[in-house]
Amino acid sequence: MTLLEARSEADALEQLHALGLTDGLPVVIPTPERVAMMALATGLDPDLELGVMGPAHGVASVEKVATAAVMAGCLPDHIPVVVAAVRAVCQPEFDLTEMQSTTHCTAPLIVVCGPARHQCGEVASGFGALGPGHRANATIGRALRLAMMNIGGARPGVSDMALHGHPGKFTYCIAEDTENSPLAPLHTSYGYGEEDSAVVVVGAEAPHSTIFTGDADDPESASRLLNVIAAVMANPGSNNAHLRHGAVTVIMNPDHTTVLARAGLTREDIQAELAARATNTAATLAHVGSAFYLDRDGPPDELVPILKDPSRILVFQAGGSGLYTMVMPSWCAGPHRNSVVHAKIDLDQACEVPWAEALGIGQSDTAEVAGGAA
Amino acid sequence: MRDSITTARAGIPSIALVTDAFWPQGDFVANATGMPTVPRIRLPHPVAGSGEDNMAKVAADIAPQIISILTGAASN
Repeated sequence: MTLLEARSEADALEQLHALGLTDGLPVVIPTPERVAMMALATGLDPDLELGVMGPAHGVASVEKVATAAVMAGCLPDHIPVVVAAVRAVCQPEFDLTEMQSTTHCTAPLIVVCGPARHQCGEVASGFGALGPGHRANATIGRALRLAMMNIGGARPGVSDMALHGHPGKFTYCIAEDTENSPLAPLHTSYGYGEEDSAVVVVGAEAPHSTIFTGDADDPESASRLLNVIAAVMANPGSNNAHLRHGAVTVIMNPDHTTVLARAGLTREDIQAELAARATNTAATLAHVGSAFYLDRDGPPDELVPILKDPSRILVFQAGGSGLYTMVMPSWCAGPHRNSVVHAKIDLDQACEVPWAEALGIGQSDTAEVAGGAA
Repeated sequence: MRDSITTARAGIPSIALVTDAFWPQGDFVANATGMPTVPRIRLPHPVAGSGEDNMAKVAADIAPQIISILTGAASN
């Protein structure tokens, strides 16, 4: 571990900004005591290697990941999710090096499943879960990003060549709304038991809103909902339409999953229906000048699916009740074509630590705090 | 860059063609993969989609450099 010296926390923060070690926002200063405490909270050896992060090929030790978590503002309760997320993106199938280097705007979306949603959070899954105001979501996703920058070496315009980036590259973390969902828990699709906790991670663009108003009297309601989601998935300007066979994330609000459950559809049914409906005609791809769709000998009305494998549609419930489902297109490139990866959240190893003491909370009552409720 | 480095590691002479906008990334990848001196030639940016005439001009401009590097007459 490299130690820097500073006269104050404010001075330390400016040093970290100047060294390019932040995401541009203020960070919690990773003092040796805080990092040691955060690493202790994992219950793992600080030198344990969780994986290697490209493009710099940095070794993601527990200590380095704990440093990112401290900087991100995580509580020790959150660290088991951060460790699992790092393990997930370091799997070869995730193509982290390529994903960090691409000109596309992809960012890892962390979906937290199982009891850890409560024990390591609360990780929000309801209204505004992808937006501001949820500490666990904000800091867990940010910790992964800071690890990807400071261990993996991603720097905009130098090694992270995303042309525009996207706001999810600051943080991108949500929990599944399991309790209110008619679908089986997402992580059980990957072989975990309901009582297990896991992260499911996929490279994703920003969410694209999809509007639909259900009608309980309309027998075609479920079909119409599937059609509108499929239409957004097959947006002919997206990588999914042009490169095809990547992944798509579909986060359905409770009203929309109710429409599909009422029609008797399981997650697997929904995936199959969406994969079948998310198509473009060959004429449409020619119309938008797809340089990647090369099979141009077929008839203009030939339907070209965006996916071969329906399991690459990540479908789960989150968000508040209402009109909107979110569709996140993806990059669809790299050797593994934007694979979905997952890792168990190991809650057995985690241990409580005196975090308030590490932060210095309660050591002085003379500080003045500006702001507060208006 | 990675293709060039992989090819070079396999013992096959190789040169990476890197456009101006990606030159810093080329340096980063070369350093990160432990091959900081892997030969590379700087191209104007962009090349893709710039038209056949321009691409032919770029190719004509850099061909002597490629030959020079591969024959050991120069390094870049």
